[in-house]
Amino acid sequence: MSSHHISSHFTLFGVAGALLVLTFLTVAVTWINIPEPYNVIVAIAIAIVKAALVAMFFMNLYWDSKFNSIVFLLAILFFVIFVSITLLDTLFRDAGLPIY
Amino acid sequence: MAESTAKTLKIREFPIDENPKHTYLNAEKGILSWLLTVDHKRIGLLYLGSITLFFFVGGVLALLLRTELLTPAQSIIDADTYNQIFTLHGAIMIFLFIIPSIPAALGNFFLPMMIGAKDVAFPRLNLASWWIYILGALFALYSIISGAVDTGWTFYTPYSVQTGTAVVSMTMAVFVLGFSSILTGLNFIVTLHKLRSPGLTWSKMPLFLWSLYATAIIQILATPVLAITVLLLAMERIFGIGIFDPTMGGDPVLYQHFFWFYSHPAVYIMIVPAFGIMSELISTFSRKTIFGYWAIALSSLAIAFIGFLVWGHHMFVSGQSELSSVVFSFLTFFVGVPTGIKIFNWVATMYKGSIDLKTPMLYALAFLFLFTIGGITGIMIGALSVNVHLHDTYYIVAHFHYVMMGGTVIALLGGLHYWWPKMTGRMYSEFWGRITCGVIFVSFNMTFLPQFIMGSQGMPRRYFNYVDQFQGLHQFSTIGSYILGIGFVMMAVYLVWSLFKGPKAPSNPWRSRSLEWMTSSPPSHHNFEYTPVILHGPYDHHKPMREFRMGVAQEAAGHGETVEHEKT
Amino acid sequence: MGNQIAEADKKSHLQHHFVDSDQQFESSKLGMWIFLVTEVLMFGGLFVAYIIYRSWHPDLFYLAAKELDTALGATNTVVLIASSLTIALAIRAVQLDKIRSAINYMAATVALAGTFMVIKYFEYTDKFAKGIFPGAGYTYDGIDHDMAANFFSIYYMMTGLHGIHVVIGMGLITWMIIKAKKGFVHSGYYTPVENTGLFWHLVDIIWIFLFPLLYLID
Repeated sequence: MSSHHISSHFTLFGVAGALLVLTFLTVAVTWINIPEPYNVIVAIAIAIVKAALVAMFFMNLYWDSKFNSIVFLLAILFFVIFVSITLLDTLFRDAGLPIY
Repeated sequence: MAESTAKTLKIREFPIDENPKHTYLNAEKGILSWLLTVDHKRIGLLYLGSITLFFFVGGVLALLLRTELLTPAQSIIDADTYNQIFTLHGAIMIFLFIIPSIPAALGNFFLPMMIGAKDVAFPRLNLASWWIYILGALFALYSIISGAVDTGWTFYTPYSVQTGTAVVSMTMAVFVLGFSSILTGLNFIVTLHKLRSPGLTWSKMPLFLWSLYATAIIQILATPVLAITVLLLAMERIFGIGIFDPTMGGDPVLYQHFFWFYSHPAVYIMIVPAFGIMSELISTFSRKTIFGYWAIALSSLAIAFIGFLVWGHHMFVSGQSELSSVVFSFLTFFVGVPTGIKIFNWVATMYKGSIDLKTPMLYALAFLFLFTIGGITGIMIGALSVNVHLHDTYYIVAHFHYVMMGGTVIALLGGLHYWWPKMTGRMYSEFWGRITCGVIFVSFNMTFLPQFIMGSQGMPRRYFNYVDQFQGLHQFSTIGSYILGIGFVMMAVYLVWSLFKGPKAPSNPWRSRSLEWMTSSPPSHHNFEYTPVILHGPYDHHKPMREFRMGVAQEAAGHGETVEHEKT
Repeated sequence: MGNQIAEADKKSHLQHHFVDSDQQFESSKLGMWIFLVTEVLMFGGLFVAYIIYRSWHPDLFYLAAKELDTALGATNTVVLIASSLTIALAIRAVQLDKIRSAINYMAATVALAGTFMVIKYFEYTDKFAKGIFPGAGYTYDGIDHDMAANFFSIYYMMTGLHGIHVVIGMGLITWMIIKAKKGFVHSGYYTPVENTGLFWHLVDIIWIFLFPLLYLID
């Protein structure tokens, strides 16, 4: 079992440094005006990269039993199901169906 | 762990002690040894006692409702009390009885035994889950004393925000009970992954455990959403945060999305463990290998997954978008596929089996009959156009009682009789068991079959009064419910009698091949005095019994799932 | 035999139903991950509310987010990232049996978490002073939108629930410091520290999403 992985100082400080850079980046992109849908996409994309860094290297998923990663991804999957199916209602509430 | 992969285990047969002196029942004495136990078997019995209590309370409330419905106008209680009683009947039966029923009582008792473990992975969390359950029950009790709830068990906004009844304490009860359910599910998943005996691969796991595994996944993924839902509802009442309240720009339909994202998967928390019991009963009493093992096992997981995609079929007339209604209706039909697979496989298992009509098998047959009615009517009301007609009528009431009571409760009773000798060490009366099963089956149909007819003719659910034309059917249903109540009293009498006067049970009265029967009745404190080794599947009735009683000849060997075994 | 006793002494953390430490460690860790799943879905409910309301009222979110102080939010993000680093360093120290420095790292984590809460306190009191209360108590008229109160309801629910988790995390880490001082954790048994670390990183991850979603709308 490789789950007793001991991270090196290099990894830990490197990841923390990357997270700080990305935090600066996510603030910095609001100074330039990105048009409407893309600004949200950029912000979320940066957040996802940061979260992935934390999960993989701080939470050791990269070295851990793969099943733990599956468990975590399952949570994300069901959150996405929750959001997308609810949006199926709320975005189309006034639209009606063309066949009626 | 790595070095044990290549190691072969020396195994030998371990004979079963038919007259055990030391069992889990007399391992420790005193009331505290029960209330503070970390033994999964005792916790299972604590749960069994608790759910029996709440089934009784919920049942009495149901009889009160049926009595009130004897006449079209007021009979014994006023309309406000009626609203509170049907709410409490629903809330108690769902959150305090049926959700914890099979997993937390029978599952807790038998899951570790079926995989040859000494306990669940986190025994103290297991005990905590029972105490949290009791805490939740106290919250519910407080809510009842301080004004009860009249919103229906679904707590729909905006009414639940406006009503003067004790909604906050009841939602807190639901919040707390959710944690209890989560802890049980968490424990089961980890136990099944990490504590299986040598040789017990996923393909040799009893189907009851596959169903508990699927159930645990739903508990983990759905229950937290219930927690946040009732938290938001409580905040809505306390601070008026305006997320669900239309007077503040909120959206009540959003509440329904939140609520049913949990509560639709939750109906699979209720029914999927019942499927697992069915697989055990039907194979054992047909004395035949289960037909389509993997189909049954994976269909449980399929139901768990599809169950998350269909919640909107509770909201067809709530004002959600037409597009989502159509999609939800379409997806709902898919639930029927894995469920149908299970039914066909059970019937195929019985085909040409040597069927032994003992009481548990009678319950299994009753389940097949009643659940099929419940399931097929479920497909009907999943159809959008039919649903608009039948929505919120007695047709719905009849449908979910056929599924929940005709399905889950009947399977629970079957499982209870099946495992009664193992849990208590005593045999119940087979004669009275069969009679009672017949009484319950007939009276159940008397109670709920008329409700399909009334519903299709337009009798709305949750109504205090009704038009005169329904009186005959309502009275027939009420009489049926009284007989049903008598049936349960009969069962309580002969089961309690068996505890004191019943003949001693042998270790394996049904000649099952599953691991929980390969130890004494009742089991010892640590379930097995050795580390069991599994060579065959749990339904291999054609293999000799002694090959199911193997254990590691010398201790201090590995326990991991990767251990190879070799017959001596 | 003497060897075996020493071995048994070191294994006092091993519960009777596990075969070895590895099995126990793996089980606890899987249990923790499953618990984190429930956390993700619990916060998930609030994120769903956020997404639905933002899709309905994008203008509301644009106007109301102007009230939030980006500088303070960014500072808090940096503080939490630093605390994630220190707890990771603490776990590394325990794995290497450097208990002294592990305790220092954990104390630093608690201090950073406290800093986060202090900044949060100033943000909240600033809002309260303006009359920005959750829901019905909302009296601020600086935002030109009918549903400004709803934005702040979501804001308070999300940051409030997150704040409760920060406080719980501080409690857990303090408990771990006490455990470490008593010598209960070492390179052979660091499961509770590892699991506390996982919890703390999740709190960080949630803030990583809250920050751009609440403070950085333009």
